[in-house]
Amino acid sequence: MEESASQKNGKKILCIEDELFIGELYSRALQKAGYEVTVELDGQKGLELAQTNRFDIILLDLMIPTITGIDVLRQLRDPAKTPKLKAKIIITTNLEQRDEIKADIESQADGYIVKANITPRELVEFLGSID
Amino acid sequence: MDQLQQFVRKGKLYTYILLVLANALLICVWWISSELCGWSLTVTLLLLAVAAFVLPLFVVRIVSTIFIQPLKFVWQAVLYIAPETTSVAAPEIHNVRYAQELVTNLVNHIYRLADVATEVASHTTDEAASLEHNFIANNIPLPLVVLSKDETILFANEALLEYVEAKREDAFGQSVYSRLDLAFESNDTLDTWLKEAKEKHVTATRTWERVRLTLPGEGQPKTKLLDLVAYYNKENPAGYETMLILFDHTKSYSQDDQAISFVALAVHELRTPLTMLRGYIEAIEEDLNGKISNELSGFLQKTQAAAGQLATFVNNILNVARVEDDQMVLNLQEEKWQDVLPATIEELKIRAEVRGITIKASVEKDLPNVGLDQVCMYEVMSNLIDNAIKYSGDAKEVIITSKLSKEGLVETTIQDKGVGIPESAIPYIFDKFYRDHHNRAQIGGTGLGLFLCKTFIKAHGGNIWVHSKEGEGSTFGFTLVPYKDLAEELKTDNNESITTNAHGWIKNHSLYRR
Repeated sequence: MEESASQKNGKKILCIEDELFIGELYSRALQKAGYEVTVELDGQKGLELAQTNRFDIILLDLMIPTITGIDVLRQLRDPAKTPKLKAKIIITTNLEQRDEIKADIESQADGYIVKANITPRELVEFLGSID
Repeated sequence: MDQLQQFVRKGKLYTYILLVLANALLICVWWISSELCGWSLTVTLLLLAVAAFVLPLFVVRIVSTIFIQPLKFVWQAVLYIAPETTSVAAPEIHNVRYAQELVTNLVNHIYRLADVATEVASHTTDEAASLEHNFIANNIPLPLVVLSKDETILFANEALLEYVEAKREDAFGQSVYSRLDLAFESNDTLDTWLKEAKEKHVTATRTWERVRLTLPGEGQPKTKLLDLVAYYNKENPAGYETMLILFDHTKSYSQDDQAISFVALAVHELRTPLTMLRGYIEAIEEDLNGKISNELSGFLQKTQAAAGQLATFVNNILNVARVEDDQMVLNLQEEKWQDVLPATIEELKIRAEVRGITIKASVEKDLPNVGLDQVCMYEVMSNLIDNAIKYSGDAKEVIITSKLSKEGLVETTIQDKGVGIPESAIPYIFDKFYRDHHNRAQIGGTGLGLFLCKTFIKAHGGNIWVHSKEGEGSTFGFTLVPYKDLAEELKTDNNESITTNAHGWIKNHSLYRR
């Protein structure tokens, strides 16, 4: 791990996360694993970034400013609003949902992670496994 | 009734005549024996005795026939129609000799009653047996199901079949539990209630809210949310013991679900610092083989700060629960605020520092001693400082000031120069779960902290307020009452401590001490 830490793997990640420290931890761990990471705190700006740039993976928090993660997800999955989205969308949240809503979100996303349940290193491992 | 009176009058008359005749016969016997035949007194008395024994026998027989025979016919008619006596033949009314009209009438009445009873019974049994023919049952737009004693489905109306997407043949005769996959919010479920009802009650009703019904089917299982009402009646004819009515609330309950519940928020808030703790601890572990750098020592600090936040929040949850259950008891001790406040700030300042915010505190000397509960005041300060940090925006300074007010109270203010609170939100800022809509999108939090601050400060006999202007920042202020004033106000017998709960003062009493 350590040897390859600084080697770039050429993959770009957008992390839409309003908690600075979590963004910091995630971007630190992901950069070490060779990803190019953009952290965005704001839902609307994150959505715009995702629509105008090409990312491989989008980490999406649900409780974020201006527009919620669920709205970002819907708009990213709407071909009229976001055509040709290549990125995999991984929900990263600490919000406990009722089963139906969780199922609905999960059906639209490529992954669903409860942040408190995994460490940044485990996140890196998870992202490696879904490629 | 006229007929009965007539019959009784006639009966009395006949009885009277019979008795008169019997007496006349006795006189005849005496006259024939002694006067006509000239028999001795002994013989005459003997004859009279025989007659006196024999004649009443006839009288009794005739009288009883008059009275008993009609009764016998009526009785026979009753037995004839009684369901449990099948061998009794119908009375032959034409054989009635006495009170024929009365008996005929009575028997006809009895037969009519029997007809009515049969009609009622046939209604109950026939229609119960085929409730699907019942217009109301099938057309009422509420799913309804009737269960037998062994809890199988005897009847389910059209609305229910449609609701659970089942066919008649799949539902009727099935166990209700296998057919309706119901999940309840607690352990108090339909089957436990029914078991209890069967043991202890003749009739019982029960309502459950937020019952989840899962429909079988291929692929994604469908779920519905509903209120369930059950009616139990042990003595229902034809074994229709339990009726269930389903009130669908899928739409409204799912909407509620989307509104984040208190527990969900609490969990979310607990998890956020926890996530950080785990992340930083991992970061330290990973890099431990290197020397401790400034960055890492910073991480350690942040970890500490996150742990502090988590502790505060857990305390908030616990405290709100305690306040709500009226379990919150404060023990006010005489303290020096100029000692307590700086010590509290010292403990909390790391939370500001890790965000690049400096806390500047100035506490007036020679403040009177105040009555306070240290644990609660720590929570108050912790929430107010966290709040000031949260809403500081780009500002890097929080100013805490403490001085004696004009009213002689110890007044403390916490001032930030951050985003401020819209004027419209200020009246509600101390309400439980209140969070300004504008800020909600930008700042995390649950709206418990300020509610608790207000509750605690009020319980200390003080007051809490806020001055704020959007874009310029907010100043939260609160007062604490000098201990001697508190003690005087309450006329407490001992000056060591004063106890209060969240909803008002309690006179000092060992029972209320913590």
